[in-house]
Amino acid sequence: MRIGLVCPYQWDVPGGVQYHVRDLAETLRGMGHHVEILTPAVREESLPPDATFAGRTVPVPYNGSMASMQFGPVSAARVRRWLREGNFDVVHVHEPASPSVSLLVCMIAKGPIVATFHAATTRSKWLAAVGPMARPWLERISGRIAVSDFARRVQVEHLDGDAVIIPNGVHVEAFTHGPSLPGFARGRDGPTIGFLGRYDEPRKGLPVLLEAMRTVVRQHPGARLLIAGRGDAADLRELVGDDLRPHVTLLGELSEPDKAAFLRSVDVYCAPNLLGESFGVVLIEALAAGAPIVASDLDAFARVLEDGAAGVLVRRGDPGALGRALCALLADPDRRAELSEGGPRAAAAYDWAVLARRILAVYETVVPPDGTVVTAGEDDDFPAVPPARRQARTSPRRWAPR
Amino acid sequence: MPDAWMLLAGAVLLLLLAWVAWTLVRLSRLEARVARAWTVLDTQLQRRAGLAEELARHYPGALGDQRAGALAAVAAAARAPADGDREVAENALGRELRDLPSDLSGVPVALQTDLAGTTTRVGLARRFYNDAVRDTRALRRQRLPRLLRLHARRPLPRYFDIDDRLEQVAGAGRAGHRSAVR
Repeated sequence: MRIGLVCPYQWDVPGGVQYHVRDLAETLRGMGHHVEILTPAVREESLPPDATFAGRTVPVPYNGSMASMQFGPVSAARVRRWLREGNFDVVHVHEPASPSVSLLVCMIAKGPIVATFHAATTRSKWLAAVGPMARPWLERISGRIAVSDFARRVQVEHLDGDAVIIPNGVHVEAFTHGPSLPGFARGRDGPTIGFLGRYDEPRKGLPVLLEAMRTVVRQHPGARLLIAGRGDAADLRELVGDDLRPHVTLLGELSEPDKAAFLRSVDVYCAPNLLGESFGVVLIEALAAGAPIVASDLDAFARVLEDGAAGVLVRRGDPGALGRALCALLADPDRRAELSEGGPRAAAAYDWAVLARRILAVYETVVPPDGTVVTAGEDDDFPAVPPARRQARTSPRRWAPR
Repeated sequence: MPDAWMLLAGAVLLLLLAWVAWTLVRLSRLEARVARAWTVLDTQLQRRAGLAEELARHYPGALGDQRAGALAAVAAAARAPADGDREVAENALGRELRDLPSDLSGVPVALQTDLAGTTTRVGLARRFYNDAVRDTRALRRQRLPRLLRLHARRPLPRYFDIDDRLEQVAGAGRAGHRSAVR
């Protein structure tokens, strides 16, 4: 199958959607399909050989976060060329409800389009504003996928559509096997508890975990907390306080291989998040790496941890309960070994190989039996100017000064 | 100032015409999408019935004679529903297929995976078809298209409702309220 994937966010900026597209492309290619990617980027040179540069995005501050926009004749021309040269059986766009290259593809492509919706709660106001305007083009999507129940609900509420749920994937194998961080081998170098994420964001729950650590070190004086992620180190030092300082190690931001090594090293992985998290990818990675998990009882976490069968769930924002759960798990090597062993099995349902097959089933469902390919529509279908005034003219002129 | 009014009326008329043309394009595009989605759904349903018939005819031993007879009957009914109610016939077939014993020894693995894959695709195809129907109905029901009777002579596409347990094949809660019950 010839598949065209469209990523609306800049390829060389780290982000969940970018990783999703990259991993999906890699997996599909491994299964023998022809995959091409269309994506914006900060630097064109950073793209892999099978990706096509779609221009740069313009960041627009909206509702406290940055939405990236990309629109205009140059981008449209790039999209049109990519579609015409690609001869795809199916085009798969991501996050098409914002003014991005994904929406452009929906406007221009003729043929089967599949769309994946990622946004959960944070961007929904943006969606509420833009979604209805994009509707005429979103109508062209033949198959809609949501990565989580939350993403699907956004879709139902703001865009009045429905979607099949296929979650985010993880390369389970890459997390299960590999080296551990030097000096922190699991089960040997003293009990360690791992935390990963932006530690200066209160909703990630680090203050709760630090409070719980005070209980933990009273019972396990050798216990250490390893913190990985981005944030302000000076603020963290203040937050940790003198009593905990010898027990806390800041690792900073980790590369992908180091992150896997980190998850393979910790004796317990802790996700004390207070809210948000539409989907716990990092929990699946921790499961795959065989890290016993203590997590707060968010819906998304409870689902990944099979309601407590694959990890320990504690009430969110309760340092006492978290401390007790951590102590109990550190004191029980059998339970840890059991969780550690079951982890990769629980993560297997989220392995890319499994999910890519489900996404392929979606492709096969929307591709018509006669095997027509996706092409670019004539210029007339292009935005805002209704086709009533359709005339033979080329697209750039539409934006030319009159 | 009759000229200004004429100009304004002309502009409004032009806008209205543009809008009508644009909406007609949308409607015919949606019509094509519904037709395409129905073709796929129909193909998958036929395929499912065909595989069920094959299973019943060639492997009665694995199913037990009584069950094989019942399966053959509902599969035939799904291919040519007697009273024209396809949804009921497909539901009966779906129920019979779900009730199959989990251990189908003697049945080739290829047939079993084919059947499982087709069942999944029926679920996907039905959801995508209903999506297309929903989009069409939403546009047709808007005030202006109704007032101007755009596509009013054509039948409104119908939803296809069968119980395919999509929450099983598609991996998660079927609707928001379902997951809240969890």
